[in-house]
Amino acid sequence: MNRRDLLALSATLLVTAPLLATAAWAQQVDVNAILNDPEAPVGGNPKGDVTIVAYLDYNCIYCKKSAPDLDRVVKEDGKIRLIYKDWPILSESSMLGAQLALGAKYQGGYEKAHHALMGLSGRKADQTAMLKAMKAAGIDMTRLQSDLDTHGPKISALLQRNLAQADSLSLTGTPTYLVGPFRTSTLDYAGFKQVVADARARQAE
Amino acid sequence: MDPSLLHFPSIRGAVLRALALVALLVLAALPAGAQSPPSADAVFALTASRDTSGDLKLGWTIADGNYLYRDKIGARDAAGTALPVTTPAGEMKDDPNFGPTEVYHREAEARIAAADLGDGKSLTVTFQGCAEAGICYPPAKRTVDLATLAVSAAGPASLATGFAMPKFDASPFVDEAEPASETTNSPIAWIAPDAPAPNQTAATPLMAGNPVVMLAAFLGFGLLLALTPCVFPMIPILSGIIARSGAETSAKRGFALSLAYVLAMAAAYALLGVVAAWSGQNLQAALQTPWALGLMSLVLVALALSMFGLYELQAPAFLTRFLQPATGGTGGSLMGAALLGFGSALIVGPCVTPPLAAALLYVSQTGDVARGASALFALGLGMGLPLIAVGTFGAGILPRAGPWLGRIKGVFGVIFLGLAIEMAGRVLPGSLTLGLWALLAIGTGVALTASPLSQRPLIDHPRRTLGFAALVYGAVLIIGASAGAEDPLRPLAVLTEGRATAVATPYETATRVTSLAAMDAAIGNARQQGRPIFVSFTADWCTVCKTNDRTVFRDPEIVTRLARASLIVADVTDTTAETQALMQRYDVVGPPTMLLIDPQTGREIDGTRSIGATTTAAFGSNLRRAGV
Repeated sequence: MNRRDLLALSATLLVTAPLLATAAWAQQVDVNAILNDPEAPVGGNPKGDVTIVAYLDYNCIYCKKSAPDLDRVVKEDGKIRLIYKDWPILSESSMLGAQLALGAKYQGGYEKAHHALMGLSGRKADQTAMLKAMKAAGIDMTRLQSDLDTHGPKISALLQRNLAQADSLSLTGTPTYLVGPFRTSTLDYAGFKQVVADARARQAE
Repeated sequence: MDPSLLHFPSIRGAVLRALALVALLVLAALPAGAQSPPSADAVFALTASRDTSGDLKLGWTIADGNYLYRDKIGARDAAGTALPVTTPAGEMKDDPNFGPTEVYHREAEARIAAADLGDGKSLTVTFQGCAEAGICYPPAKRTVDLATLAVSAAGPASLATGFAMPKFDASPFVDEAEPASETTNSPIAWIAPDAPAPNQTAATPLMAGNPVVMLAAFLGFGLLLALTPCVFPMIPILSGIIARSGAETSAKRGFALSLAYVLAMAAAYALLGVVAAWSGQNLQAALQTPWALGLMSLVLVALALSMFGLYELQAPAFLTRFLQPATGGTGGSLMGAALLGFGSALIVGPCVTPPLAAALLYVSQTGDVARGASALFALGLGMGLPLIAVGTFGAGILPRAGPWLGRIKGVFGVIFLGLAIEMAGRVLPGSLTLGLWALLAIGTGVALTASPLSQRPLIDHPRRTLGFAALVYGAVLIIGASAGAEDPLRPLAVLTEGRATAVATPYETATRVTSLAAMDAAIGNARQQGRPIFVSFTADWCTVCKTNDRTVFRDPEIVTRLARASLIVADVTDTTAETQALMQRYDVVGPPTMLLIDPQTGREIDGTRSIGATTTAAFGSNLRRAGV
């Protein structure tokens, strides 16, 4: 999506603004749950002024393609709060990847695992490749298995919530990034910078 | 207000943000939100028909800018048994990032033989695709009524078949550590070759722990680095500074001077860390420009001339006066020592890439600039400790005064000139550099043979012998240089071996690139050959690269094995936006960095990266990992 599309998106947003008054929306879509799920891994600056909610799948080639640019923008900006929403929808092993990454959270290794899994090429990562990559990234695999055993129900519940949220938002596919008030998909470095700047400008209004 | 919103800067801001998100959700919920990506239903339209033989024909109309995966088209009968589906060959989509995949644009077709349909009443078809704009749709599922051939949505092809947590055998992942010789690619053991794969930032565990342990460890690595040739050029510079300070040489004075030199050197490394963390640029690489190297060469030449007694170098009077009260009258030379230390670290010994890479990885992951900088400071200090020892105890050994001192100064002068040539040689053509070496050798020879005899055979004879040897060596170098030789240790090799030596290095066949576009093109070409792709980041000023070239890349076994790979040399001699982009794409902090790319996926093969000086064994095991 380029800048022109974003501007068009903003225009659409203004047109739809009156609908905001409708309380019913807030019930269908739980904004607070999306922005502040206590179980959802948070990256970037947790106190940042712009929030990016990233709906991602570990077999999603465009997620992998845009990941380095997103990471770079989040790092360079320093004031972006990045919420990871594992949304395993593409392949059988997507669910596995999401569970493994969320399992790594309990040893403080979600982002490590996340980057390792996003770093696997292609759209058919298998269990062995995923485990190997996580091991190489420094995840304690014994601990991971025990955390999956212990916290399985919590991880499942979080994934259920993510899937339900994505449905309630009618998201069409991965990756989907909610950047402040904007929704977008694969962007390049400049694109991410632009949308963050636009989100910031809009929030300042 | 929900307390969990309280961490926002203000409640009002939180409300605004929530409202803004609601606006977005409204937008998302609109059936045809003008700018949001269309749903999979709108993009992939499926119809079913039967041909004369009774085979079922499935046809997709695909909206422009979207594609279906051939291997994601499938069908199951009502009982859930997979049915054989025939699909034509698709277009090969070969995105450099993801490897080749068969896809269909605009339309797709699949057939299921009548025999396979049996007497089922309906079947479900699944398919999946993406938009070129960069979004992948979840698998779609449709029911086809075999009587009416009507296609209806069968709900999302949910993958959420169950949330059972994965069970895996952790044991093979627990103690996988390979022997050190396999995992070590550089003389310093803590650069694990599998650490910095692109997009995979593995923390260097060392830096995450107790800060005291971390600093001690980096001090230790610095000591190890001090044993590499990186630090050697600094010894004569420091000794020269001490010798130049003349009659007052004492252990105390030597200690003060070398401490100033080393602290400044360590500060320069810390600065490198900070600059790199903030700008993402390896400042040192940026300093290896002809200008910086030329300037440093000139400084060394000036120092050399002062050693020969042409003039006395002194800090400007106002500076000396300003510093005197604080440093007890020695401010000028302490300042000079510090300046030279700073410059030496940045320009003379450009071997900081491996530790810098590790520290940067950490800094970039945690944003902890202070820790990264202090680690590099400790590293610089470690590298400098032997120098302080040399400075302190060496100073006591140096004779107090007399004609000896003049001679020793002369020796340092020659060494300084040698360093100046070595540095200029990083950017000058090899033959020209060889010519400069020849001049230096002849000049030294003349000085040694022509100075008046002291009538003491034990001094005069060795001196003249050396002088004549230097003259002959200089003459040989001139012959070599005019024949196109570049190696001062083998100046005549070109005459005896002809072009044979040149062919021996595998780089002759490599594609040289200096920009991202050229790199992408080169990788595209190489991938068509299907051989693993070896990418080497190098630069003319990179001395470690040249050491690697002389040792590892002259090894016959390595040369033979590299012949089985496609070679790309990324030349980052010049610091331009193009070369910066190239290094950034591959997460390269500086040369030498070597890695291997899988021709199937176009991605770096895990564990094949090596940074810094390498050995035949370590590099060989990297090649093995890539199947070369």
